Amino acid sequence: MAVNEENETFVHPLYEALERFPGADVGLTTADRVLTWGLTNALWVFPMATSCCGIEFMAAACSRFDLDRIGTIARGTPRQCDVMVIAGTITVKMAPRVKKLWDQMPEPKWAIAMGSCAISGDFYRDIYSVVPGVDTFMPVDVYVPGCPPNPDALFMGIRRLQEKIRLKREGKWTEPELRPDTPGLRSPAIGRLGDPGRDACTSQAQLDAVLGLDPGGGLRRPDQKS
Amino acid sequence: MSIDLSHFDLVAENDIVVVPVDKLVDVATYLRGQGFEYFVYCCAAHYPASESEPDRALVEYRLRRLPAEDVALRLWIPSSDACPSLAGLWQAADWQEREQFDLVGVRFAGHPDLRRIMLPEDWPGHPLRRDYAIDTRHFPWR
Repeated sequence: MAVNEENETFVHPLYEALERFPGADVGLTTADRVLTWGLTNALWVFPMATSCCGIEFMAAACSRFDLDRIGTIARGTPRQCDVMVIAGTITVKMAPRVKKLWDQMPEPKWAIAMGSCAISGDFYRDIYSVVPGVDTFMPVDVYVPGCPPNPDALFMGIRRLQEKIRLKREGKWTEPELRPDTPGLRSPAIGRLGDPGRDACTSQAQLDAVLGLDPGGGLRRPDQKS
Repeated sequence: MSIDLSHFDLVAENDIVVVPVDKLVDVATYLRGQGFEYFVYCCAAHYPASESEPDRALVEYRLRRLPAEDVALRLWIPSSDACPSLAGLWQAADWQEREQFDLVGVRFAGHPDLRRIMLPEDWPGHPLRRDYAIDTRHFPWR
């Protein structure tokens, strides 16, 4: 018996096979423990690294920190991976690609949102091209806040994911991971042009700034002061 | 067409020549023949209409003659008009002009493959134009 993503219990096909043999059910508890041990200590990751968090991920995978020693091996293809680590800003153009890679990963699979940009978009949140958090289009199991989180924080996230998998396989209900609050979340400070709420001074200041630029260009000699 | 390059201060960083739109290809061809074989960049900006000026766009090309001589060609066009493309002269201009089309919305006449290069193919509008609302939400992610 195990618990899936939606906290529903289900019977693993392996148990059905084992139950055909007489007396095998005695060993099921032990088998379950072994399977859980194997599952949590062989989390192969697919690094969905798009920006600076990817550098921290690389640092975590290198010899000083060494992700391999907890069984977390980075693979270059989603088809061999259990965990997707989304490390970096995901743009509107990238989001369908991330979703496609996520869909290509075989079950069971988990996702770690690493860094502020993957969690909420951070200060790129209000930009026209950035997705405000990857959990708007795919499920996320563990959030690792930081800008970027250092390798220790990533290790902490992976350990938390291991704990979560273990508890779920033991049939214990776990608290759903909460997205860390972003303080001061608000609508863009500068309203759109023509907005009734937009400050007229802002419009004029922006217009002056644009018109104050050197409009002519022209040929300037070094001795001419423009 | 020939230009007396001795009037140009080719070493200064800010040496910019304002070129009429219909003369751009001629000037560029001539400069290419004079050894300006290195295409540095193409950039563009959009200026909204004001009391004194109509709605217009700036396009600037920077060309280099190695080791260190630069010349920049600047054009002012109405932002809805097309600018002649230099992708036939310098292959490097191809993607640069696509980028300007994508973000600023300047169309390049004679460009071999004028498609969006950075934003999604179905993106509405050109976000670096001054009349583009900065908080436009893109379906379905916002």
